[in-house]
Amino acid sequence: LAGPPSPPGQDPHGWRVPVDCVRANELCAAEPSCSSRYRTLRQCLAGRDRNTMLANKECQAALEVLQESPLYDCHCKRGMKKELQCLQIYWSIHLGLTEGEEFYEASPYEPVTSRLSDIFRLASIFSGMDPTTNSKSNHCLDAAKACNLNDNCKRLRSGYISTCSKEISATEHCSRRKCHKALRQFFDRVPSEYTYRLLFCSCKDQACAERRRQTIVPSCSYEDKEKPNCLDLRNVCRTDHLCRSRLADFHTNCQASFQSLTSCPGDNYQACLGSYAGLIAGFDMTPNYVDASTTSITISPWCSCKGSGNMEEECEKFLRDFTENPCLRNAIQAFGNGTDVNLSP
Amino acid sequence: AAFGLYFPRKEYLENVYLDQPAGTPLLRIHALRDSHGEVAHFHLCQNLVISRARSHENHWFQIREKTGLLYLSKSLDRDDFNMLSVGNWMPLSKVMLYVFLSSHPFQEKECDSATRTTVFLSLINATAPACSSLTARQLCFTEMDLSFHIKENKPPGTFHQLQLPSVHHLCQNLSITYKLLAAEGMPFRYNENTTGVSVTQRLDREERERYELIAKCTVREGFREMQVEVPFLVNVLDEDDSPPFLPNGTDTADAVVEFNRKEGTVLATLTVYDADTTPIYPLESSRKKYTGTIITDDPWISETFRVEHIFNEIHFSPNGSQVRGTQHEYKLVLNKSISVTEHRFFQLDVLVNDTEFHGPERSVMLHFNVSILPVSIQFPNMTYQFTVNRNAERFAQIGKICIENCMKFRGVNITYKLQSPNVSCYAVSILQGREDKYGSLYVNDSSVLRRPECKEIQYTVQAADKQSRKHTKTLLTIVLEGTLLKKEEDCPDSCAVSKHRAECEECGGLGVLTGRCQWRQGSGKGITTNYSTCTPSIKTCPDGTCDVIESKDPSVCPQDCTSVNIIGGHGKGIGNLGIKSGHGICYCFPRQNCYCEKDDIKEQLCDDVCKTVI
Repeated sequence: LAGPPSPPGQDPHGWRVPVDCVRANELCAAEPSCSSRYRTLRQCLAGRDRNTMLANKECQAALEVLQESPLYDCHCKRGMKKELQCLQIYWSIHLGLTEGEEFYEASPYEPVTSRLSDIFRLASIFSGMDPTTNSKSNHCLDAAKACNLNDNCKRLRSGYISTCSKEISATEHCSRRKCHKALRQFFDRVPSEYTYRLLFCSCKDQACAERRRQTIVPSCSYEDKEKPNCLDLRNVCRTDHLCRSRLADFHTNCQASFQSLTSCPGDNYQACLGSYAGLIAGFDMTPNYVDASTTSITISPWCSCKGSGNMEEECEKFLRDFTENPCLRNAIQAFGNGTDVNLSP
Repeated sequence: AAFGLYFPRKEYLENVYLDQPAGTPLLRIHALRDSHGEVAHFHLCQNLVISRARSHENHWFQIREKTGLLYLSKSLDRDDFNMLSVGNWMPLSKVMLYVFLSSHPFQEKECDSATRTTVFLSLINATAPACSSLTARQLCFTEMDLSFHIKENKPPGTFHQLQLPSVHHLCQNLSITYKLLAAEGMPFRYNENTTGVSVTQRLDREERERYELIAKCTVREGFREMQVEVPFLVNVLDEDDSPPFLPNGTDTADAVVEFNRKEGTVLATLTVYDADTTPIYPLESSRKKYTGTIITDDPWISETFRVEHIFNEIHFSPNGSQVRGTQHEYKLVLNKSISVTEHRFFQLDVLVNDTEFHGPERSVMLHFNVSILPVSIQFPNMTYQFTVNRNAERFAQIGKICIENCMKFRGVNITYKLQSPNVSCYAVSILQGREDKYGSLYVNDSSVLRRPECKEIQYTVQAADKQSRKHTKTLLTIVLEGTLLKKEEDCPDSCAVSKHRAECEECGGLGVLTGRCQWRQGSGKGITTNYSTCTPSIKTCPDGTCDVIESKDPSVCPQDCTSVNIIGGHGKGIGNLGIKSGHGICYCFPRQNCYCEKDDIKEQLCDDVCKTVI
């Protein structure tokens, strides 16, 4: 039974359906009261923290009106058109409303609903074999072969590899910025059944694990002359909308939880792996395997907690979300083994 | 200090269930003091933060100003839950509130004080569970780690209560007891009556900065007994209570300026230690706290030198346990390039000041014994003589001209010039690289070499320093030798074009020394730096660098200088120039492509038919 057309941004039950922030911005702009409040709020937020802002009556009124607008719950999609613009709108509202010193920030991205098993199904179609069989083979090599058989994957992979291994001068090993950009294109534009296989292949010998470690050309995209402090690195990341969003997404989807069987929020491996890959795609926060060990998987961004002063505890907590994260480790292992959680319906 | 009170942890966490009655205690917050006699007052900001952007006025939670007990003042019903959960699309709804701290009773209900802690309340969409359904872990501890920070040098006090007020309230018929397992002599005490944990004495971070204890909980229900142990960690926070000191008492270093006179050169480094930690971010503010200043009235000194300060975390082991400290390095650096004529000796003092340390020994003086020695611009005690074959071609490299110690110079720009007395036999020229260290002699006009009247050519070489205008001269003799070879016809301009040893060695090309190209026979397998190729001179090409003479013309040594396509297995050189490594034989058509390939296929050429079949 078709009901009357519902207003934009609402489903027939009156619940707001999350819209993306670009669309929410358009909806708000079409409505005079919303657009003027939005303008007011942005002026309120410019250069002020939450508490000063809340003290102002006009700002508070704007906030209350906007709480009812679609802008409030808007999200962005990874790899969407105008992703950067979407994130800018998102943070223009949310940045000033939080203290900016929160340890974990909520992700501006829509929740991931697909499961790992979807990827396995696709993966076995193109590889022509079940990923769990043939245990002696080098899965990372198979992943590279599979990528080379796909024009799009091959083109973007060779694109980032040549960019990241191009020597600029005797002192400048490569152009890190261009390398990150090329990596970002690879992870954003190539379907995850290819990229995940390269990134999370399971290994039984060192040659395979070294190939896995080398996937992102770490000599250019990862390593640097000096290791910065992790909290410093986080601050740098948070000044960039895209990096900040991807880090928040990683924290949202990979934060170890006691309340699930797999240690992952909502037992969703796919979401965690996706936000891990999203963090690689560029930026200084890029994580990677720290060595070519086959027995244990250790992931870390290129930073350490040296020089943390009184913030050492916080720094180590931040770093542990990469190095000792059971959710991330389980998700990588589950992908490598071709197993997903069996969820009862 | 007025704001000396502080919270021993940054975040607290508790669950809130549907329809819990008003008056239910939720959690206990503690404060530690900065000085004796301070009394803590707790205050709740009347603003609930829901998800990240939404907020709502707080109608449900209150805190006891004196005890820090957070409790429900009004029960949360289904409607309240729905309202607070909107926009929360995480699996678990959380609300956040801030608790503030003051040593005076709160006058206004304001929300801005520097000292605050965050309370996260997980909203569980169900009524409070039966005690029997809770695990021992849930009965004893929250999900949050038991991790605390205590400032050093502050009075003792209670900083935590092990018993969970909410569980105690809910499960009154259960016996839940705690113990704190600690090694002997740890400065912490557990009070069984209150389940409070206190620190018993002032702590010193420079002695020990981390205490690891174990909290043990026993739950008894009838005959059943369950035990849970969790780590209980205390970190000691640092304050600036140690003065700088010198390792081994060293406060003096020699700084000698001789051949290296370039701006940015580090002349000497002195180290200062401090037992306090120094955060490396924000970097600039830490630098400002620990200053190094050159003490001088001499404007020349303050213009010519600067001090650079870097610092690293190091470890001290005062009594077996490791604690972090700081190593400060002060580097004396040239602020501008120094003229070769400058000649001075003096002592330069640098005052290092630990600005946040409040004590008499807050600074140390560092001394640099600076010697600036003049360097002479002169040729070694000899004249140069080079022999050049009459068959040498244009851009053949004859040799290098270098003043004494020229390779050691940095920051000195020497220009080399040739002055020729007999203009008619002017066959060679000089060029210098970017570093301006030496001059390279090369054949500029090969037709002059062939003229019988030119046998020995004499030049005067002049080397001059731009900055000081100091210069020196020496004699250079070029002796022409050898008999003229007949030129082969159909030879290309460039040696690099030849693909086979025979055609290589019977032809000449730009840059050759004796009229013939040289063949380099590679020995390596696969893609190697030692690939086979035809070159004007094995000594200079390929050697991995595109030097000034090679870069004059792309035909001389494309193996080092090419920037065009390379077809076949290869690795590119620095800055994408040249072929660093290749597979088999590498040959180039200047301004077109280069090719690296194995010479296995014996067919000379592949015609159109052959291409089609492939």
